[in-house]
Formats: sequence, structure tokens, C-alpha cells
Amino acid sequence: MEQPPRQITAIQAAATLTSTNIGVGVLALPLFTVQAANSGAPLVTLLGFLLAFVGFVPLVLLGMRFPSQSFVQYSEAIIGKWPSWIGSACVIAFFAVLTAFTSREFGEVVITAVLTRTPVEVTVIVMLLLAAISTRKDITTFAYIHHFYFPLLLVPVLLIGALSLKNADVINLLPIWGNQPTFMLEGILTTAALFEGSFVIAVVIPAMKRPDYALKANFWGMLVGGALYVMIVVATVSVFGAEETSNLLWPTLELAKATSLPANVLERLDAAFLAVWVTTVFTTLLSSYFLTVTELQKLFRQREHKMFSLFMLPFVFFIAMLPQNISQMYATIKIVGRIGLIVTIVYPTLLLVIAIIRNKRGEHADAQQMGKND
Amino acid sequence: MRRIRQRNGKPNSESTGAEVADQGLANIGDERISGNVEETIARIREKLGENDDFTMRRFQVFGRYPAAMFYFSSMIDQAIVNRDILKPLMYMPAYLEDKPIEQDRLKSVLLDESLHHSEGKSEDRLAKLIGGIVRGQTIVAVEGLDAAIVVNTRDVDKRSIDTPATEQVIRGPREGFIEILNTNIALLRYRLQTSDLRVRSMEIGRKTASKVAVCYIDGVTNSDLVKEVQKRLSNIDIDAVLDAGYLEQFIEDNHISPFPQVQYTERPDKVVANLLEGRVAILVDGSPLALVVPTVFSQFYQSVEDYTERFLLMSAVRLARFVALIFSLVFPSLYVAIISYNPELIPTEFAVAVAGGRAGVPFPAVIEVLLIEISMEVLREATIRLPQQVGGALSIVGVLVVGQAAVAAGFASPITVVIIALTTIGSFATPAFNVALALRLLRFPLIIMAGIFGLYGVMIGLILIANHLLALQSFGVPYLSPLIPSDYQGLKDLLVRGPLWWMSKRPEFLYPRDKTRVSPDTMAQIKSPPDKVLNPANQSEKER
Amino acid sequence: MLSRWAKTIKLPLVILIVFPLLSGCWDRLELEERAVVLGISIDTAEPEEVQQEGAITFHSDNVSFPKKDLISVSVQIAIPGKIQLGPSENSGSGKGGTVQSVWVVKVVGYTLDDALVNLQQQISGRLFYGHLRVIVVSEAVARRGMENINDFLRRNSEVRRMAWMLISRGRAEELMKSKPQLERVPTLYLISTMDSAVRMGRFPQNYIGMFWSNMSKKGQEAFLPYVEMKKEQNIELKGLAYFRNDKMVGATRSLEMGTYMSLKGVNPAGYRGFVQIGNPPGTVTVYATSRRASVSVRIIDNVPHFQVNVFTEINVEEKFSDTFALNNSRVLEEIRKENRRQLSEAAERLIKETQRAGSDIFGFGEYLRAKRPGFWDRRVKTKERWQEMYKTVSVDVKVDSRVRRIGMKAK
Repeated sequence: MEQPPRQITAIQAAATLTSTNIGVGVLALPLFTVQAANSGAPLVTLLGFLLAFVGFVPLVLLGMRFPSQSFVQYSEAIIGKWPSWIGSACVIAFFAVLTAFTSREFGEVVITAVLTRTPVEVTVIVMLLLAAISTRKDITTFAYIHHFYFPLLLVPVLLIGALSLKNADVINLLPIWGNQPTFMLEGILTTAALFEGSFVIAVVIPAMKRPDYALKANFWGMLVGGALYVMIVVATVSVFGAEETSNLLWPTLELAKATSLPANVLERLDAAFLAVWVTTVFTTLLSSYFLTVTELQKLFRQREHKMFSLFMLPFVFFIAMLPQNISQMYATIKIVGRIGLIVTIVYPTLLLVIAIIRNKRGEHADAQQMGKND
Repeated sequence: MRRIRQRNGKPNSESTGAEVADQGLANIGDERISGNVEETIARIREKLGENDDFTMRRFQVFGRYPAAMFYFSSMIDQAIVNRDILKPLMYMPAYLEDKPIEQDRLKSVLLDESLHHSEGKSEDRLAKLIGGIVRGQTIVAVEGLDAAIVVNTRDVDKRSIDTPATEQVIRGPREGFIEILNTNIALLRYRLQTSDLRVRSMEIGRKTASKVAVCYIDGVTNSDLVKEVQKRLSNIDIDAVLDAGYLEQFIEDNHISPFPQVQYTERPDKVVANLLEGRVAILVDGSPLALVVPTVFSQFYQSVEDYTERFLLMSAVRLARFVALIFSLVFPSLYVAIISYNPELIPTEFAVAVAGGRAGVPFPAVIEVLLIEISMEVLREATIRLPQQVGGALSIVGVLVVGQAAVAAGFASPITVVIIALTTIGSFATPAFNVALALRLLRFPLIIMAGIFGLYGVMIGLILIANHLLALQSFGVPYLSPLIPSDYQGLKDLLVRGPLWWMSKRPEFLYPRDKTRVSPDTMAQIKSPPDKVLNPANQSEKER
Repeated sequence: MLSRWAKTIKLPLVILIVFPLLSGCWDRLELEERAVVLGISIDTAEPEEVQQEGAITFHSDNVSFPKKDLISVSVQIAIPGKIQLGPSENSGSGKGGTVQSVWVVKVVGYTLDDALVNLQQQISGRLFYGHLRVIVVSEAVARRGMENINDFLRRNSEVRRMAWMLISRGRAEELMKSKPQLERVPTLYLISTMDSAVRMGRFPQNYIGMFWSNMSKKGQEAFLPYVEMKKEQNIELKGLAYFRNDKMVGATRSLEMGTYMSLKGVNPAGYRGFVQIGNPPGTVTVYATSRRASVSVRIIDNVPHFQVNVFTEINVEEKFSDTFALNNSRVLEEIRKENRRQLSEAAERLIKETQRAGSDIFGFGEYLRAKRPGFWDRRVKTKERWQEMYKTVSVDVKVDSRVRRIGMKAK
């Protein structure tokens, strides 16, 4: 494939990261964190975020070290063909699975909350198709899509956060470390796993106008995402209290249910919230799917990633349909999340260390020149 | 005006497209006329003689040399032919009387000394001559001359310059383009009295040989854009170009998108404003609409009036227009989704009332809305086609009586009629007819999606539309610029219209050569406090 | 080559996916096809109603419920078309009676879901709870325990968290059948009663979602409004029905709602109270305009001691004596002192009352959990332990108030 056009600005890269990270996981996030540390949920979220925040720095540094190569390409340059092939295949497989479970999770939310008699297969395939069709576009459009939907992600979260202030009670957030938090570490890992989509920065860097801004973009993108996470957890726990939150499968959605717009414009917000949330889930799906597809293309050295979009669809759909019920689904998601932390954080860190030891580095020239041109 | 070569590699590519394409001229080739008038008459008659409006007139130049004049009587100005061609050629100038004129000087005497017309030239290729007659020129062939004199005597009746019918404004110029290209160019030129305005023309259409003018401002418009426009235009090989719309469909980037990627307008001031932003305008002879490229989505809800009124008010108006645009797209589908899927969203009293209104309607909300929508489209289309006097009456009959009757007959619920009426009216608030049409069309799939999945389906549909818009480009300019990718200068003129002095730069996404619109001095001037000359304090001091 | 392969497969694939979708519309249910449930009332079943249980959810002998636990559920369903927006057209012609705008159907069942399934068996439209605004539970049922009711309502995605749940003294069914004169729909009248009570400071905001939240909290118990139907089809807000776990254990009197709100510092304030001052004694009616309250806790000998500081601003609304004039600060000071004494007495009485019942509706336990997590984790930890401990804690109420205004009259 030819060198992709370098058009993505730092703002677009940051927006891509944020909208990738905010997705269906947010609906259940307060439940996970409350289970970990009752009223310490915001702290768990913050720590989980910080773990991911630090954890993805090596990946970004790696990307900036090889500013014009994608993950598959530079991992080959670092550790050789076959070891890297296995590593990259793991990454790709992981993101295929992540795509599958994201769509399944949202499918479950939709059929439980809104479309109770629609088969879950239909809602899942619709989301997957939507993502698959959109992954056929190029990386620039990919970044545009994320940038465009970014406000749509901010508005509902901020709106519900602001409206729920009315019913919030600070007592519910105290003590901030929780009453005898037992599963703190587990909660932190679960939260950090929600940020695994940040891996998409590896795809974005080779198309950035100024790859040297990648760290900055990563910083802001993840920071906004993390702030929204903390805000959602704070809002949910302060309104419901830790105990009530642990009774709710999707506390964030319930929060939308417990708020109404002033003057009864909309009597309840849950269906509307879920509708708007479709876009954020779509961007998350798009990212992980796009990552899968483009890295596959690099792995098999094809010229176009388009054909993989539809090719992967049956596999992803099949994986999505594997869990038998909603409890099993969440159990699987947690396990997959843990594995994902190894794939997306530990593995790139290892790669970076090896790259530094072996002093490997990608050619910088064209990137620098592009930077100067604008 | 410079002629541009077209379709290289074909025979006769030396001349303009029309002659090549004309079947009647195909076999003539490069044939030239001889000095024999009778032979020329025979050749031209052979090609054009079957037309009743073709006129051939024999006369004697200066009473000595036999000559013949050819023209289409329907396309020329008879008075000019009589006064400026026939008369001076018949009467020998006084200073030449009695002096013999040598055969080789005759041509220059006729062209340079006798002819009283500014657009006259000599031509010897037969194909060119016939092509000229077809375009309304008058040909004079003189015995002994190996070239004929071609004089432009074209005079086609035209309508007068009128108020633009579809883009009316309250504040702003009242002139609209007409069908004649030269008039249209004149309308542009007197607004842009700069040597930088470039008008390049070419002829497109094998049969129509329509003159197409590409206008841009040298030093502002990106030259790559001009080249690309000309390249795309010159690739068009079609028999007829009857309107600018024909060209639009050939030069757009995405041919199957419902969204127009080329803007059309009948307002010269709008074209000038676009030229000044760094765009290229394309005018076609015979079409009162100019095309403007590249086009971005935001242009479609902007109107020239936005810039003539005060910015605060027009920003609000523009926002209202934008809301109407969005409403015309999603309103019916939202209604269907809420009624059929999520009635818990609306207030209880309202929900129960709506249920009451719908109680007698036999169809589900989707079908009901689709039916009313389709009949609304039919009504709308019928109103356009009908003569103006009847049209107004019909629209009232259509909306009031049919709507009322549909409700009374239990065919539709009153709220549906209200929703559809609002939507239809909302779609007329969009200044650009073509984008309103696109959104009206996209409304239907959205309604169907709403019928299948409720709000979820509406969102899926909207995401598909938005993704399409994000991938769409017009001459490489992303369609949603300056929103995505963001451009600070462009954002000042997106949803709100910033004050003119604040929008000091041309939009960045068009990559104009010269970026400055408002000079920094003016900016400084505006920011400094104004002189209060007639302030009572100042004036009374002066009087003392 | 690959793209050609993709193209040939694309069309069948699209058809394969699109056609099932078109045949879909699984969830489409027109508004008029839904039986819009506006209110539900839950009573214990009368003996004669027991036979009506339809046995629809279970095969007769497998499940055994004690017969006496049957509940009788009345459901108020909106009749489409009878409730109109805007001014009603036949208001003049009617003889005063409201148009029958809702349909009240009564069923019996072992659980709430069972009863509703029985109901669904009897009516055509699918029951739709998206507009369920009021759930009235009779005191008898509430005292027996609300676990089942809450569980069904929370599990159902259609039920809103902003509905009101009321405890009725006497049969709850009466409230469903009531025909209030001010609203066309009885439940909407109930709603507006509650909403305006909240707005006027007569009741703390307590939607069903908040009730559930309070019930789940370890250091707090839930409460609900306690209402009674009056003769003129009007509804009186009688007090707070307070709970211990999911069982109602008692109800306060009317003015104690004001005391509760003072202790919680809920604004706006809306209760009036008599204050007796002077010699010979005369009475003035005062009303509070705003309240503030703060809680602090100390641990002494492993027993938490709470101190509540309440501050209210009051205005004089009425004087019922001609022995004194309200024209100097001294009288106002007297009113203030008397009000302080009365309020703190009332507060302590209310707290004692809830302590006897072991129902901490004030959330002192939550406060303890939040501010003294170490003590909580060591000594309390569970809801049950707190319920026991609450009986022994001491609560001091310190009230301060200011009389600000005396109305338009100068004396």
C-alpha cells in the first residue's frame, strides 16, 4: 500500500482516542467499580485510568520512534518476522474479540432496555454491519468520523451529569477510599481494561500530520476520556449511593432514567440517552474493527483493507454470539479485558524496551518534512 | 477569450468541438474555399440549403466584384447586416474611386477599409465558415478571394434581466442571470472590475456546441483547482448540454451520492462572493444558473442575505434555517419512533391524547407517515407544475382540505398531519433547493428505519448519513469543512455569521493564494473608538 | 481480482441481511395498541377475592403460596381519546361529573407480576408501564413487606424511577377509583398533589428511585408518603411512612414531616406552626422560609453521638390574640425562643420514635459510614447491626431560628 496521506491533526487524534474509549463499557462502569470499592468507586476509576494512562505511553513512544510504520510493520523490524507475526496476530485476534464483545454488550443493553422483543442477533449484526461498512473508508475519514461524533459524546454525558447534580449527595461519595474495599485491584484492572481501545493510536500515528505531537494527542485524548469516566462514576454514585449502584446492571443508564429535562420536554431520558449512545458505541466499535482490519491488511501485506471488513464480519459475529447469557458475557468480558491488558500494554512495552536496546528506529525524514510544510 | 483545445488525438482537433462532431461537416475535413464564388455557393448550399431560414444573397462588391452573402435569417440582426456589411461593401469609399484595386489588395481593402463592423475577420476553411453560419455569423464570399469574410451578426432574442425567482432576498441586489452567456459574464464583470478576473471559455456538446465559461480570480483561486475544473470539463463528450445541470453531473466527485457537490445559483452577486472566496464558477450559454465549485455542505443553508444584514440577526436566522434543515430530515422518523416504540418519552397527557387521535387510524404509524409524506410530495410537485394562478389555490386546497378530510376520514391522525406539514414547510426554509431535495429523499429511509428499530434505527440511519457526508469530497475539499476538518477562519462563517471585519481571512480549506480579505488597518480602525463628531459636547465647544 | 470477488458476494450478502430486517419490526407496538398503565394500587386480597386468582403463571400444585398472602391489584389504564389536550369541548354540557377517562381493573395474584399477568390475560392491549406514575400500596401490604413489589418494578425496564410510591391508609384501591375534580386523570391529580407538596416545602422529594436508593443504603432506612383518601375525593398527606428494611414499621404525624425536613435541612420550607407566647398567653402562627441543617458525630465509648444543628428562618403569618403587639424585637425574640424549644422537642420526639422502631430515616448511619469509616468498618458494617445500634445512639438537636418578618401589618 502506498504511504497513507498525512492529514490527521493532533486534535483529531485526541478526539479519536476519547471517542474510542467512551463506549458501552461506561454503562456498566459504576457497577464494576462499586463492586470493587463501594463508595471508593471514583478513586478506583481514577486509578484505573491512571494505570491505562501510563500504560499506553510506551506504545505512543514506539509509534513516534517509527513514525511512518504501523504496529505490525515495526514490531517486525524490532523482533523479527516470526515472533512479531505471533505477537501481531494476538493483537489482531484480541481486537476482533473486543469488537465482538462490544457489539454483543450493546446488543444486550438495547434489547434489555428498549427493544425487548428484537432478537439480540439482529441488534448485534446491525451494529457490526454499521462498523464494517464504515471501516471501508480510509484513515482520514476514520479520524473525521471520530472528530465529528466527539461533541455527541460530550453532550449526553455532561447533560446527565449536570441534571443529576440536583439529586446528588456528597455523603454517598464518602469515604473516598471506600468502606473496606476488597477488590480494589480487580476494579482498577477492569477500569483500565476499558481503555484498551487507546491502542488505536498505533494506527493513527502513521497518518498524523505531525507524529511528534502524538504524545500530546494521547495525553489530551485519554485525559478527556478519563475525566468523563470519573465524572460518570461520581454522578452515579453520588445520586444512588454505593449500595443502590451495586443493585443496578447498567447504573449509567439508570441515571438517565432518574433524570428528566426541565419543563418536561422529555419525560425521561433513558431511551433518548441510549439512542445518542449508539454513536459512541459505534465509534468504539469502528476503532477496534478498523484496527483489526488495517493490521490484518499489513500482516498479510495486502494493498487494501476493504476486503477484510466484510471478510471478518462472520467471525466477529460468531464470537459475539458465544456467551450464553448476560452474566457469562460479563464474566468473559472481564477475562478478555485482563488478557487485553497484557496484549495492549505489556507487549508494546516489551517491544519498546527491545527497540531501545537494539537501537532500532524508523526513518524520520518524510515526517519531519511534512511537519515543516504546514 | 481563449479557446481551449479539446479531445486531443482526434482528427480535426485543431478546431472547436462542434465542427468535429457535426456529422454534416465530418466529410469536409480540411477543405478550403477557392476564389470561385459559384463553387462556394454550391458547397455551402449543399450543407445548409435545405433550411428555409437559410439566406443567400448575391451582390456586387463596389459594383465590380460578384459576391455572395450567407446567413440564417432567424439568428442575425438584419439592420446590422444592411447597414454595416451590405452598404459599405456595395459603395466604394470615395478616396478609392476610379482607382483600380489589385486582386491581392482587395481583401485588405474590404476588411480594413470598408467593413463597418468590429467583429470581422477572414476565414478560408469551409468547415469553419459553415460553423460560423450556424452560430449566427454572416459570411461574405467574394469572387477572386480565397478567403471569406466572417462577421458576427448574431442577435438572439433574450429576456430582460429579472429578479432571481428562486433565490429572493429582502436586502441585496435584484439581478439574476439570464440565458445569454455574454450578458451573464457582463453581470459578473461589472461587479468585479479587476484585471484579475479570468474568463476562459470552451464549447461542449457535439450537437449543441454550448459555450461554457470558466471564471475565476487570478491570484486568489488556487491554480490547481482551475486546472482540475478545466480537465474535468474537457473530458466531457456528450451530444448536448442544455443546462448547467448537465455539466454538474459530469464534474462531481461522487456520482451516486444524494448530496449535491456542486452549488448552483442564479445570483451574480453570489457567484462573485464565491469567486472571492477562491472558488471557480462555471457558466453555460443557455442556462440562467451558474455552477460554483468546490462546494461544502454549509453553503447550502447560507444565503447572500446573511452578509448584507447585521451579523447578530443573521446568525440567528441562519441557526433557524439550520434547525429547519435538520428538522426536515429527522422529524417524521422521530415521530414514528416515539409513537411506535418509545411513547414513554413524551409527557403522559400528551401520550394519551396522541393515542386518542390515533385510535381510529387503521395503519401503523410508519405506514401512515409514509402515506402522508408521499401525498405531500405529490402535492408539492403538482404545485410546481401548475400555472402560477392555479398553483396557489391548489396548495391551499391540498393542505387544508385534503389534510382535514384525511383526518375526518380516519385516514390519518391530526398530529401526523401537523408533523408532516411542519416538516414540509421546514424543508422550504433551506435556500438550496437541491440539498432540500436530498434531505427530503433521505427522510424516507429514515422513516423506514424508525419503523423497524425505533430510535435505535433512526440513529443508525443518521450515522450512515453522517459517515457518508464525512467521506464525501468536492474537488478534494471534505464536504463538511470547515467543521471537519476544523478550520478556525471557516468556523466563523459556519453556524453563525461573524462580522465581516472579523472574517478577515478567506476560508482556509479552499487553499486560496491570497488569504487576506480585510486589511489589518481596517481592523485596527474598527477597534479604535469612533470619533463622536456630532456629540453635543464637541459641537457646543466649537460654537463657542 | 479480490475486489471483483467482493463485488459478486456483496449483493447476496446485502440481500441476506436486509431482508430479515425488513420482515422485522419486532418491537413495534402502536401507542393506541398499548394499554397505558397510569397507576397501580396494591392491597391485600379480601377473602371473597381469593377465588378469582387465575392460576396463569403456574401449574396448580407445583408452586405453593400461602393463600392469605394473595394481593389484589387495581390498575388504572388510560382510555385513548377520553383524555384530551387543551380546553375540553363539552365542559359546559356535562352535569359536573368528570368524563370517565380511565379504566380501573382489579385482579388478584400471589405476586405483583402474577397479578399483572392475570390482568394481561383479561385485556387486549399490551400493558405498558412507561407512563406508570403512581404506585399506591396499602398499609397492610407495606407492613407485610415490599420486597416482591420493588423487585418487579426495578427489573422492568419500562418503569420510571421518577414515579411516586404512596402508602395509603385503608384500601389503596380507593385512590385508583377516585374522581378528583381538578384533574381529568386521577393519577395525574395524585402526581400534582405530591409535586406541589414538594414545591411548597411540605414533603421532601422522594421519587420511587430515591426510595429504592435509601432502602439499599446500609446506614439509612426508606420512607414514603403516607396518604389517606378523604370524603370529597381529595387526598390528604398524612405523614411519613417509615420502613425498616422492606417493611413499613410506622408513620409519623403531619407536622412531623416538617420536623423531618428541618432535621434534613430541606428547602423550601413550608410548614406552619403555632407558637404560644406572652402572659396572658396568645398564639401566633409562624412559618419557616428556609432551613439549614448540619450533622456532626463523635464517638464516645464506642457509641456514636450525633449532634444536629438546625437553623430556620421564620416569618409570622397570623396572630391570635390582642394582648400584645408584634411591634418590637423583644416579642419576636420571644417567638424565636419558643419556636426553638418547640422544634427541638418535636425533633427529639421524632428521633426517639424512629429509634424505637429501629428505622433510621435520617441517614445518621450513612453519615457515620462516611465520616467515621474506621468505626463503621469495625463495629457496624451491616445494615442489621446499624439497625440495632441506631436504637442506642444519642442525638442532640440544637435548633436556632430567626424571626425575620411580620407581614404587611405593622403591629
